[in-house]
Amino acid sequence: MSHDPYSPVVRECFANPGHVGDLTGAVTADIDEQGIRLRLACTRDNGQISALRFRAWGCPHLIAACESFCADYEGRPLAELSRFQAADIMRKLSVPVEKTGRILVLEDAVQLLGQSCCGAPVTRKS
Amino acid sequence: MTDDYIYLDFAASTPVDPQVFDCMRECGEQAYANPSSTHAAGRLTHEIIATAADQLGGLLNVDPKTLIWTSGATESDNLAIAGGARYRAHRGKHLVSMKTEHKAVVDVFDALAKGGFEVSYVDPDANGVLDPERFAAALRDDTQFASIMFVNNETGVIQDIEALGDICRERDILFHVDGAQAVGKVHIDLSELPVDLLSLTGHKFYGPKGIGALYIADRPGCRVEPILFGGGQQRRLRPGTLPTELIAGLGMAAEIAASRIDADLEHLTELRNVLWSGIRDIDGVTLNGDPNGFPGILNVSVEDIEGESLLLALEPLLVATGSACNSKSQEPSYVLRALGRSDMLAQSAIRFSMGRQTSRDDVDFAARRYCDAVARLRELAPEAAA
Repeated sequence: MSHDPYSPVVRECFANPGHVGDLTGAVTADIDEQGIRLRLACTRDNGQISALRFRAWGCPHLIAACESFCADYEGRPLAELSRFQAADIMRKLSVPVEKTGRILVLEDAVQLLGQSCCGAPVTRKS
Repeated sequence: MTDDYIYLDFAASTPVDPQVFDCMRECGEQAYANPSSTHAAGRLTHEIIATAADQLGGLLNVDPKTLIWTSGATESDNLAIAGGARYRAHRGKHLVSMKTEHKAVVDVFDALAKGGFEVSYVDPDANGVLDPERFAAALRDDTQFASIMFVNNETGVIQDIEALGDICRERDILFHVDGAQAVGKVHIDLSELPVDLLSLTGHKFYGPKGIGALYIADRPGCRVEPILFGGGQQRRLRPGTLPTELIAGLGMAAEIAASRIDADLEHLTELRNVLWSGIRDIDGVTLNGDPNGFPGILNVSVEDIEGESLLLALEPLLVATGSACNSKSQEPSYVLRALGRSDMLAQSAIRFSMGRQTSRDDVDFAARRYCDAVARLRELAPEAAA
Protein backbone atom coordinates (compact mmCIF):
# COMPACT_ATOMS: atom_id res chain seq x y z
CA MET A 1 0.00 0.00 0.00
CA SER A 2 1.52 3.32 -1.00
CA HIS A 3 1.32 6.45 1.15
CA ASP A 4 1.08 4.32 4.28
CA PRO A 5 0.98 6.80 7.17
CA TYR A 6 2.56 4.23 9.46
CA SER A 7 6.16 3.04 9.21
CA PRO A 8 6.87 -0.67 9.77
CA VAL A 9 8.23 0.18 13.23
CA VAL A 10 5.03 2.00 14.16
CA ARG A 11 2.96 -0.88 12.91
CA GLU A 12 4.99 -3.39 14.90
CA CYS A 13 5.00 -1.33 18.11
CA PHE A 14 1.25 -0.68 17.80
CA ALA A 15 0.35 -4.28 17.05
CA ASN A 16 2.57 -5.86 19.71
CA PRO A 17 3.21 -3.44 22.53
CA GLY A 18 5.09 -5.46 25.11
CA HIS A 19 5.24 -2.69 27.70
CA VAL A 20 1.57 -1.99 28.32
CA GLY A 21 0.54 -2.25 31.94
CA ASP A 22 1.29 -1.16 35.48
CA LEU A 23 4.14 -1.83 37.90
CA THR A 24 3.84 -2.45 41.63
CA GLY A 25 5.67 0.15 43.67
CA ALA A 26 6.50 2.21 40.62
CA VAL A 27 7.02 5.92 40.22
CA THR A 28 4.41 7.25 37.83
CA ALA A 29 3.76 10.26 35.64
CA ASP A 30 0.28 11.05 34.35
CA ILE A 31 -0.70 13.51 31.66
CA ASP A 32 -4.21 14.30 30.47
CA GLU A 33 -4.12 17.06 27.87
CA GLN A 34 -4.62 17.78 24.16
CA GLY A 35 -7.06 14.89 23.94
CA ILE A 36 -4.41 12.45 25.10
CA ARG A 37 -4.26 10.38 28.27
CA LEU A 38 -0.90 8.94 29.15
CA ARG A 39 0.57 7.16 32.16
CA LEU A 40 4.19 6.11 32.48
CA ALA A 41 5.37 3.86 35.29
CA CYS A 42 8.98 3.23 36.26
CA THR A 43 10.72 1.02 38.81
CA ARG A 44 14.29 1.85 39.86
CA ASP A 45 17.31 -0.02 41.09
CA ASN A 46 20.53 1.74 42.09
CA GLY A 47 20.00 4.73 39.86
CA GLN A 48 19.01 2.58 36.91
CA ILE A 49 15.61 2.13 35.23
CA SER A 50 14.74 -1.47 35.98
CA ALA A 51 11.31 -1.55 34.24
CA LEU A 52 9.02 0.79 32.31
CA ARG A 53 5.34 0.40 31.50
CA PHE A 54 2.79 2.67 29.86
CA ARG A 55 -0.90 3.14 29.26
CA ALA A 56 -2.08 5.50 26.55
CA TRP A 57 -5.24 6.83 24.94
CA GLY A 58 -4.20 8.36 21.66
CA CYS A 59 -3.27 7.80 18.06
CA PRO A 60 -1.15 4.88 16.77
CA HIS A 61 1.96 7.05 16.55
CA LEU A 62 1.68 7.98 20.22
CA ILE A 63 1.12 4.38 21.29
CA ALA A 64 4.05 3.21 19.18
CA ALA A 65 6.24 5.99 20.57
CA CYS A 66 5.37 4.99 24.13
CA GLU A 67 6.23 1.37 23.40
CA SER A 68 9.47 2.32 21.71
CA PHE A 69 10.46 4.62 24.59
CA CYS A 70 9.81 1.92 27.19
CA ALA A 71 11.76 -0.70 25.24
CA ASP A 72 14.70 1.65 24.65
CA TYR A 73 15.06 3.07 28.16
CA GLU A 74 14.81 -0.01 30.34
CA GLY A 75 18.22 -0.63 31.89
CA ARG A 76 19.49 2.91 31.32
CA PRO A 77 20.50 5.38 34.05
CA LEU A 78 17.60 7.41 35.45
CA ALA A 79 19.42 10.58 34.50
CA GLU A 80 18.85 9.83 30.85
CA LEU A 81 15.11 10.42 31.23
CA SER A 82 15.74 14.16 31.30
CA ARG A 83 17.55 13.91 27.97
CA PHE A 84 14.65 12.23 26.12
CA GLN A 85 13.62 14.27 23.08
CA ALA A 86 10.52 13.91 20.94
CA ALA A 87 12.53 14.63 17.81
CA ASP A 88 14.67 11.52 18.29
CA ILE A 89 11.76 9.12 18.53
CA MET A 90 9.94 10.88 15.69
CA ARG A 91 12.93 10.20 13.46
CA LYS A 92 13.18 6.59 14.58
CA LEU A 93 9.47 5.93 13.96
CA SER A 94 9.09 8.23 10.93
CA VAL A 95 6.30 10.11 12.68
CA PRO A 96 4.76 12.73 10.36
CA VAL A 97 5.34 16.32 11.36
CA GLU A 98 1.63 16.97 11.96
CA LYS A 99 1.83 14.54 14.88
CA THR A 100 4.59 16.51 16.61
CA GLY A 101 2.24 17.85 19.26
CA ARG A 102 1.27 14.36 20.35
CA ILE A 103 4.84 13.16 20.66
CA LEU A 104 5.68 16.31 22.61
CA VAL A 105 3.08 15.16 25.13
CA LEU A 106 5.15 11.99 25.56
CA GLU A 107 8.25 14.13 25.98
CA ASP A 108 6.47 16.07 28.72
CA ALA A 109 5.46 12.82 30.40
CA VAL A 110 9.01 11.50 30.32
CA GLN A 111 10.28 14.78 31.82
CA LEU A 112 7.69 14.48 34.57
CA LEU A 113 8.72 10.90 35.16
CA GLY A 114 12.33 11.97 35.46
CA GLN A 115 11.36 14.64 38.00
CA SER A 116 9.14 12.32 39.99
CA CYS A 117 11.86 9.70 40.15
CA CYS A 118 13.70 12.27 42.27
CA GLY A 119 10.68 13.11 44.43
CA ALA A 120 6.91 12.71 44.72
CA PRO A 121 4.65 11.43 41.86
CA VAL A 122 3.59 14.22 39.50
CA THR A 123 0.26 14.54 37.70
CA ARG A 124 -0.51 17.16 35.09
CA LYS A 125 -3.91 17.85 33.66
CA SER A 126 -5.11 20.54 31.33
CA MET B 1 -6.49 -5.49 -4.09
CA THR B 2 -5.02 -8.53 -2.41
CA ASP B 3 -6.63 -11.27 -0.37
CA ASP B 4 -4.86 -9.88 2.69
CA TYR B 5 -7.60 -7.33 3.26
CA ILE B 6 -11.37 -7.33 3.60
CA TYR B 7 -12.76 -4.40 1.66
CA LEU B 8 -15.66 -2.77 3.48
CA ASP B 9 -15.45 0.65 1.87
CA PHE B 10 -17.94 0.28 -0.97
CA ALA B 11 -19.43 3.70 -0.23
CA ALA B 12 -16.09 5.23 -1.17
CA SER B 13 -15.82 3.27 -4.40
CA THR B 14 -16.87 -0.08 -5.83
CA PRO B 15 -14.89 -2.54 -7.93
CA VAL B 16 -15.69 -2.35 -11.62
CA ASP B 17 -18.02 -5.16 -12.66
CA PRO B 18 -16.28 -7.61 -15.05
CA GLN B 19 -19.06 -7.12 -17.62
CA VAL B 20 -18.42 -3.39 -17.44
CA PHE B 21 -14.72 -3.97 -18.03
CA ASP B 22 -15.48 -6.15 -21.05
CA CYS B 23 -17.83 -3.53 -22.43
CA MET B 24 -15.26 -0.77 -22.02
CA ARG B 25 -12.47 -2.83 -23.60
CA GLU B 26 -14.64 -3.70 -26.60
CA CYS B 27 -15.68 -0.09 -26.94
CA GLY B 28 -12.09 1.12 -26.76
CA GLU B 29 -11.04 -1.29 -29.49
CA GLN B 30 -13.89 -0.49 -31.87
CA ALA B 31 -15.27 2.95 -31.08
CA TYR B 32 -12.23 5.17 -30.92
CA ALA B 33 -13.55 7.93 -33.15
CA ASN B 34 -14.78 11.26 -31.86
CA PRO B 35 -18.54 10.97 -31.37
CA SER B 36 -18.98 14.47 -32.80
CA SER B 37 -17.54 13.35 -36.14
CA THR B 38 -20.14 12.71 -38.81
CA HIS B 39 -18.26 9.94 -40.63
CA ALA B 40 -19.07 6.26 -40.13
CA ALA B 41 -16.64 5.72 -37.26
CA GLY B 42 -17.97 8.79 -35.47
CA ARG B 43 -21.53 7.60 -35.94
CA LEU B 44 -20.63 4.24 -34.38
CA THR B 45 -19.25 6.02 -31.32
CA HIS B 46 -22.32 8.23 -31.20
CA GLU B 47 -24.55 5.15 -31.23
CA ILE B 48 -22.64 3.59 -28.34
CA ILE B 49 -23.18 6.73 -26.30
CA ALA B 50 -26.85 6.72 -27.20
CA THR B 51 -27.10 3.11 -26.04
CA ALA B 52 -25.50 4.01 -22.71
CA ALA B 53 -27.97 6.88 -22.31
CA ASP B 54 -30.79 4.40 -22.94
CA GLN B 55 -29.37 2.08 -20.29
CA LEU B 56 -29.02 4.84 -17.71
CA GLY B 57 -32.39 6.25 -18.66
CA GLY B 58 -33.86 2.80 -18.14
CA LEU B 59 -32.42 2.58 -14.65
CA LEU B 60 -33.94 5.95 -13.71
CA ASN B 61 -37.05 5.67 -15.90
CA VAL B 62 -36.41 8.89 -17.78
CA ASP B 63 -35.97 10.03 -21.35
CA PRO B 64 -32.25 9.64 -22.17
CA LYS B 65 -32.29 13.14 -23.62
CA THR B 66 -32.59 14.49 -20.08
CA LEU B 67 -29.12 13.18 -19.16
CA ILE B 68 -25.90 15.20 -19.37
CA TRP B 69 -22.60 13.32 -19.10
CA THR B 70 -20.10 14.72 -16.64
CA SER B 71 -16.87 13.60 -14.98
CA GLY B 72 -18.69 12.44 -11.86
CA ALA B 73 -21.01 13.50 -9.08
CA THR B 74 -18.84 16.41 -7.95
CA GLU B 75 -19.04 18.03 -11.35
CA SER B 76 -22.74 17.20 -11.61
CA ASP B 77 -23.35 18.84 -8.23
CA ASN B 78 -21.41 21.91 -9.33
CA LEU B 79 -23.31 22.19 -12.60
CA ALA B 80 -26.68 21.64 -10.94
CA ILE B 81 -26.21 23.97 -7.98
CA ALA B 82 -24.09 26.76 -9.43
CA GLY B 83 -25.77 26.50 -12.83
CA GLY B 84 -29.27 26.21 -11.40
CA ALA B 85 -28.90 29.00 -8.85
CA ARG B 86 -27.44 31.38 -11.43
CA TYR B 87 -30.15 30.56 -13.95
CA ARG B 88 -32.78 31.48 -11.38
CA ALA B 89 -30.92 34.35 -9.72
CA HIS B 90 -33.38 36.90 -11.11
CA ARG B 91 -36.14 35.24 -9.08
CA GLY B 92 -34.35 35.30 -5.76
CA LYS B 93 -31.04 34.59 -4.14
CA HIS B 94 -32.00 32.39 -1.23
CA LEU B 95 -30.85 28.76 -1.40
CA VAL B 96 -31.60 25.88 0.98
CA SER B 97 -29.70 22.71 1.75
CA MET B 98 -28.94 20.67 4.87
CA LYS B 99 -25.99 20.30 7.20
CA THR B 100 -25.20 16.69 6.36
CA GLU B 101 -24.64 17.17 2.65
CA HIS B 102 -21.44 16.02 0.94
CA LYS B 103 -18.63 18.53 0.51
CA ALA B 104 -19.29 18.48 -3.23
CA VAL B 105 -22.56 20.22 -2.41
CA VAL B 106 -21.63 22.28 0.64
CA ASP B 107 -18.57 23.82 -0.99
CA VAL B 108 -20.58 24.93 -4.02
CA PHE B 109 -23.14 26.62 -1.80
CA ASP B 110 -20.35 28.25 0.19
CA ALA B 111 -18.86 29.59 -3.04
CA LEU B 112 -22.27 30.93 -4.09
CA ALA B 113 -22.67 32.57 -0.68
CA LYS B 114 -19.47 34.50 -1.33
CA GLY B 115 -20.98 35.65 -4.62
CA GLY B 116 -24.09 37.25 -3.22
CA PHE B 117 -26.41 34.32 -2.60
CA GLU B 118 -27.78 33.53 0.84
CA VAL B 119 -27.75 29.90 1.97
CA SER B 120 -29.71 28.25 4.78
CA TYR B 121 -28.59 24.84 6.03
CA VAL B 122 -31.34 22.87 7.73
CA ASP B 123 -30.59 20.55 10.66
CA PRO B 124 -31.59 16.89 10.48
CA ASP B 125 -33.12 14.99 13.37
CA ALA B 126 -30.82 13.03 15.66
CA ASN B 127 -31.11 10.02 13.35
CA GLY B 128 -30.07 12.09 10.32
CA VAL B 129 -33.49 12.27 8.71
CA LEU B 130 -34.72 15.67 7.54
CA ASP B 131 -38.22 16.51 8.75
CA PRO B 132 -40.14 17.86 5.73
CA GLU B 133 -41.88 20.39 7.99
CA ARG B 134 -38.54 21.75 9.14
CA PHE B 135 -37.43 21.91 5.53
CA ALA B 136 -40.59 23.79 4.56
CA ALA B 137 -40.07 26.21 7.42
CA ALA B 138 -36.66 27.15 6.03
CA LEU B 139 -38.11 28.17 2.67
CA ARG B 140 -38.84 31.83 1.98
CA ASP B 141 -40.55 33.83 -0.71
CA ASP B 142 -37.17 34.45 -2.33
CA THR B 143 -36.00 30.83 -2.12
CA GLN B 144 -35.42 29.62 -5.65
CA PHE B 145 -33.21 26.53 -5.28
CA ALA B 146 -32.86 23.62 -2.83
CA SER B 147 -30.56 20.63 -2.71
CA ILE B 148 -30.95 17.53 -0.54
CA MET B 149 -29.02 14.28 -0.88
CA PHE B 150 -30.86 11.00 -1.43
CA VAL B 151 -28.63 8.62 0.59
CA ASN B 152 -26.07 10.04 2.99
CA ASN B 153 -22.53 8.92 2.21
CA GLU B 154 -21.48 8.60 5.85
CA THR B 155 -24.57 7.24 7.56
CA GLY B 156 -26.69 5.71 4.79
CA VAL B 157 -29.69 7.78 5.92
CA ILE B 158 -32.35 8.00 3.19
CA GLN B 159 -34.27 11.25 2.89
CA ASP B 160 -37.94 11.47 1.93
CA ILE B 161 -37.22 12.88 -1.50
CA GLU B 162 -40.84 12.65 -2.61
CA ALA B 163 -42.13 14.75 0.30
CA LEU B 164 -39.31 17.30 0.00
CA GLY B 165 -39.74 17.51 -3.76
CA ASP B 166 -43.49 18.04 -3.44
CA ILE B 167 -42.85 20.99 -1.15
CA CYS B 168 -40.51 22.49 -3.72
CA ARG B 169 -42.96 21.92 -6.60
CA GLU B 170 -45.72 23.68 -4.67
CA ARG B 171 -43.49 26.74 -4.37
CA ASP B 172 -41.84 26.48 -7.79
CA ILE B 173 -38.41 25.96 -6.24
CA LEU B 174 -35.82 24.14 -8.34
CA PHE B 175 -35.02 20.89 -6.48
CA HIS B 176 -31.66 19.15 -6.85
CA VAL B 177 -30.84 15.74 -5.40
CA ASP B 178 -27.32 14.41 -4.91
CA GLY B 179 -27.90 10.79 -5.84
CA ALA B 180 -24.27 9.65 -5.76
CA GLN B 181 -24.90 7.02 -3.09
CA ALA B 182 -28.39 6.13 -4.28
CA VAL B 183 -28.33 5.53 -8.02
CA GLY B 184 -27.97 1.86 -8.85
CA LYS B 185 -28.47 0.95 -5.20
CA VAL B 186 -32.03 1.93 -4.36
CA HIS B 187 -35.07 2.19 -6.60
CA ILE B 188 -35.37 5.62 -8.20
CA ASP B 189 -38.18 6.37 -10.62
CA LEU B 190 -37.68 9.90 -11.84
CA SER B 191 -40.89 9.78 -13.84
CA GLU B 192 -42.69 9.69 -10.49
CA LEU B 193 -40.40 11.61 -8.16
CA PRO B 194 -40.70 15.44 -8.07
CA VAL B 195 -36.98 15.92 -8.75
CA ASP B 196 -35.66 18.57 -11.14
CA LEU B 197 -31.95 17.76 -11.08
CA LEU B 198 -30.15 14.60 -9.97
CA SER B 199 -26.41 13.98 -9.77
CA LEU B 200 -24.81 10.57 -10.08
CA THR B 201 -21.48 8.90 -10.61
CA GLY B 202 -20.45 5.57 -12.09
CA HIS B 203 -17.92 4.29 -9.60
CA LYS B 204 -20.39 4.08 -6.74
CA PHE B 205 -22.32 1.31 -8.49
CA TYR B 206 -19.65 -0.89 -10.08
CA GLY B 207 -18.95 1.38 -13.03
CA PRO B 208 -15.75 3.25 -13.88
CA LYS B 209 -14.37 6.34 -12.16
CA GLY B 210 -14.29 9.61 -14.05
CA ILE B 211 -17.79 9.45 -15.45
CA GLY B 212 -21.11 10.63 -14.10
CA ALA B 213 -24.25 12.34 -15.22
CA LEU B 214 -26.70 15.06 -14.36
CA TYR B 215 -30.41 14.53 -14.94
CA ILE B 216 -32.22 17.72 -15.89
CA ALA B 217 -35.99 17.35 -15.90
CA ASP B 218 -37.73 18.31 -19.10
CA ARG B 219 -40.18 20.79 -17.69
CA PRO B 220 -40.64 24.55 -17.92
CA GLY B 221 -38.24 26.60 -15.83
CA CYS B 222 -35.92 23.68 -15.16
CA ARG B 223 -32.67 24.87 -16.66
CA VAL B 224 -29.08 25.41 -15.62
CA GLU B 225 -26.41 27.75 -16.88
CA PRO B 226 -23.19 26.06 -18.03
CA ILE B 227 -20.15 26.28 -15.78
CA LEU B 228 -17.70 25.07 -18.45
CA PHE B 229 -17.18 26.62 -21.87
CA GLY B 230 -15.39 25.56 -25.00
CA GLY B 231 -17.62 23.67 -27.37
CA GLY B 232 -21.15 22.91 -28.37
CA GLN B 233 -21.40 19.39 -27.06
CA GLN B 234 -24.38 18.33 -24.95
CA ARG B 235 -26.49 21.36 -25.79
CA ARG B 236 -23.60 23.62 -24.67
CA LEU B 237 -24.33 22.64 -21.08
CA ARG B 238 -21.21 20.53 -20.71
CA PRO B 239 -18.71 20.99 -23.53
CA GLY B 240 -15.82 18.63 -24.20
CA THR B 241 -15.25 15.44 -26.17
CA LEU B 242 -17.22 12.64 -24.59
CA PRO B 243 -15.22 9.73 -23.08
CA THR B 244 -16.90 6.95 -25.00
CA GLU B 245 -15.40 4.00 -23.09
CA LEU B 246 -16.34 5.45 -19.72
CA ILE B 247 -19.85 6.28 -20.86
CA ALA B 248 -20.30 2.77 -22.27
CA GLY B 249 -19.10 1.38 -18.94
CA LEU B 250 -21.51 3.54 -16.99
CA GLY B 251 -24.34 2.45 -19.24
CA MET B 252 -23.51 -1.21 -18.70
CA ALA B 253 -23.25 -0.67 -14.94
CA ALA B 254 -26.70 0.91 -15.02
CA GLU B 255 -28.16 -2.00 -16.95
CA ILE B 256 -26.65 -4.49 -14.51
CA ALA B 257 -27.88 -2.50 -11.51
CA ALA B 258 -31.40 -2.32 -12.91
CA SER B 259 -31.48 -6.10 -13.13
CA ARG B 260 -30.39 -6.78 -9.56
CA ILE B 261 -31.27 -3.92 -7.21
CA ASP B 262 -33.72 -6.06 -5.21
CA ALA B 263 -31.23 -8.91 -4.87
CA ASP B 264 -28.47 -6.49 -3.86
CA LEU B 265 -30.68 -4.85 -1.24
CA GLU B 266 -31.66 -8.22 0.19
CA HIS B 267 -28.01 -9.27 0.36
CA LEU B 268 -26.93 -6.02 2.00
CA THR B 269 -29.77 -6.07 4.51
CA GLU B 270 -28.71 -9.51 5.72
CA LEU B 271 -25.07 -8.42 6.01
CA ARG B 272 -25.92 -5.23 7.86
CA ASN B 273 -28.11 -7.11 10.33
CA VAL B 274 -25.37 -9.65 11.01
CA LEU B 275 -22.76 -6.95 11.51
CA TRP B 276 -24.89 -4.80 13.77
CA SER B 277 -25.98 -7.82 15.81
CA GLY B 278 -22.34 -8.67 16.34
CA ILE B 279 -21.32 -5.32 17.76
CA ARG B 280 -24.43 -3.68 19.19
CA ASP B 281 -23.89 -5.09 22.70
CA ILE B 282 -20.48 -3.46 23.16
CA ASP B 283 -20.61 -1.05 26.08
CA GLY B 284 -20.99 2.50 24.77
CA VAL B 285 -21.58 1.69 21.10
CA THR B 286 -23.94 3.95 19.14
CA LEU B 287 -25.52 3.62 15.72
CA ASN B 288 -25.04 6.79 13.69
CA GLY B 289 -28.02 7.15 11.43
CA ASP B 290 -31.39 5.64 10.86
CA PRO B 291 -32.06 1.89 11.25
CA ASN B 292 -34.20 2.14 8.11
CA GLY B 293 -31.42 3.67 6.03
CA PHE B 294 -29.57 2.19 3.07
CA PRO B 295 -28.43 -1.25 4.26
CA GLY B 296 -25.05 -1.06 2.54
CA ILE B 297 -23.77 1.38 5.17
CA LEU B 298 -23.40 0.87 8.90
CA ASN B 299 -21.84 3.77 10.82
CA VAL B 300 -21.06 3.25 14.50
CA SER B 301 -19.35 5.22 17.24
CA VAL B 302 -18.10 3.93 20.55
CA GLU B 303 -17.32 5.75 23.77
CA ASP B 304 -13.77 6.27 25.01
CA ILE B 305 -11.97 4.99 21.93
CA GLU B 306 -9.55 6.98 19.77
CA GLY B 307 -10.72 6.76 16.19
CA GLU B 308 -7.39 6.58 14.37
CA SER B 309 -6.13 3.80 16.60
CA LEU B 310 -9.40 1.95 16.13
CA LEU B 311 -9.05 2.23 12.37
CA LEU B 312 -5.57 0.70 12.47
CA ALA B 313 -6.54 -1.94 15.01
CA LEU B 314 -9.35 -3.05 12.68
CA GLU B 315 -6.96 -4.06 9.91
CA PRO B 316 -7.22 -6.18 7.77
CA LEU B 317 -10.63 -4.57 7.52
CA LEU B 318 -10.57 -1.66 5.10
CA VAL B 319 -13.16 0.76 6.43
CA ALA B 320 -13.57 4.52 6.70
CA THR B 321 -13.70 6.97 9.55
CA GLY B 322 -16.13 9.13 7.60
CA SER B 323 -16.31 10.51 4.13
CA ALA B 324 -13.36 9.19 2.12
CA CYS B 325 -13.04 12.60 0.51
CA ASN B 326 -12.51 14.02 3.98
CA SER B 327 -10.57 11.17 5.56
CA LYS B 328 -7.24 13.00 5.70
CA SER B 329 -8.81 15.57 7.93
CA GLN B 330 -8.40 14.95 11.63
CA GLU B 331 -11.50 16.95 12.40
CA PRO B 332 -14.51 15.00 13.66
CA SER B 333 -17.11 14.47 10.96
CA TYR B 334 -19.34 17.52 10.50
CA VAL B 335 -22.08 15.14 9.42
CA LEU B 336 -22.04 13.33 12.76
CA ARG B 337 -21.72 16.61 14.63
CA ALA B 338 -24.92 17.72 12.87
CA LEU B 339 -26.60 14.60 14.27
CA GLY B 340 -25.71 15.85 17.73
CA ARG B 341 -22.76 13.54 18.36
CA SER B 342 -20.05 14.91 20.63
CA ASP B 343 -16.57 15.45 19.20
CA MET B 344 -15.42 12.40 21.16
CA LEU B 345 -18.11 10.13 19.72
CA ALA B 346 -17.78 11.56 16.22
CA GLN B 347 -14.02 10.98 16.10
CA SER B 348 -14.50 7.31 16.99
CA ALA B 349 -16.94 6.71 14.14
CA ILE B 350 -16.31 3.85 11.75
CA ARG B 351 -18.22 3.48 8.51
CA PHE B 352 -18.59 -0.09 7.32
CA SER B 353 -19.91 -0.13 3.76
CA MET B 354 -20.68 -3.41 2.06
CA GLY B 355 -21.29 -4.45 -1.50
CA ARG B 356 -21.97 -7.29 -3.89
CA GLN B 357 -18.66 -9.03 -3.16
CA THR B 358 -19.04 -8.87 0.63
CA SER B 359 -19.76 -12.26 2.17
CA ARG B 360 -21.39 -13.40 5.38
CA ASP B 361 -17.95 -14.60 6.52
CA ASP B 362 -16.56 -11.11 5.91
CA VAL B 363 -19.07 -9.42 8.21
CA ASP B 364 -18.80 -12.18 10.83
CA PHE B 365 -15.06 -11.52 10.89
CA ALA B 366 -15.62 -7.76 10.90
CA ALA B 367 -17.88 -7.94 13.94
CA ARG B 368 -15.36 -10.05 15.87
CA ARG B 369 -12.52 -7.79 14.84
CA TYR B 370 -14.38 -4.69 15.96
CA CYS B 371 -15.19 -6.20 19.36
CA ASP B 372 -11.56 -7.31 19.83
CA ALA B 373 -10.14 -3.95 18.75
CA VAL B 374 -12.36 -1.98 21.14
CA ALA B 375 -11.46 -4.33 24.01
CA ARG B 376 -7.74 -4.11 23.24
CA LEU B 377 -7.68 -0.31 23.04
CA ARG B 378 -9.67 0.02 26.26
CA GLU B 379 -7.23 -2.34 27.98
CA LEU B 380 -4.37 -0.21 26.71
CA ALA B 381 -5.75 3.10 27.97
CA PRO B 382 -5.31 4.59 31.43
CA GLU B 383 -8.49 5.20 33.36
CA ALA B 384 -10.21 8.44 32.52
CA ALA B 385 -10.11 11.16 35.13
CA ALA B 386 -13.26 11.34 37.19
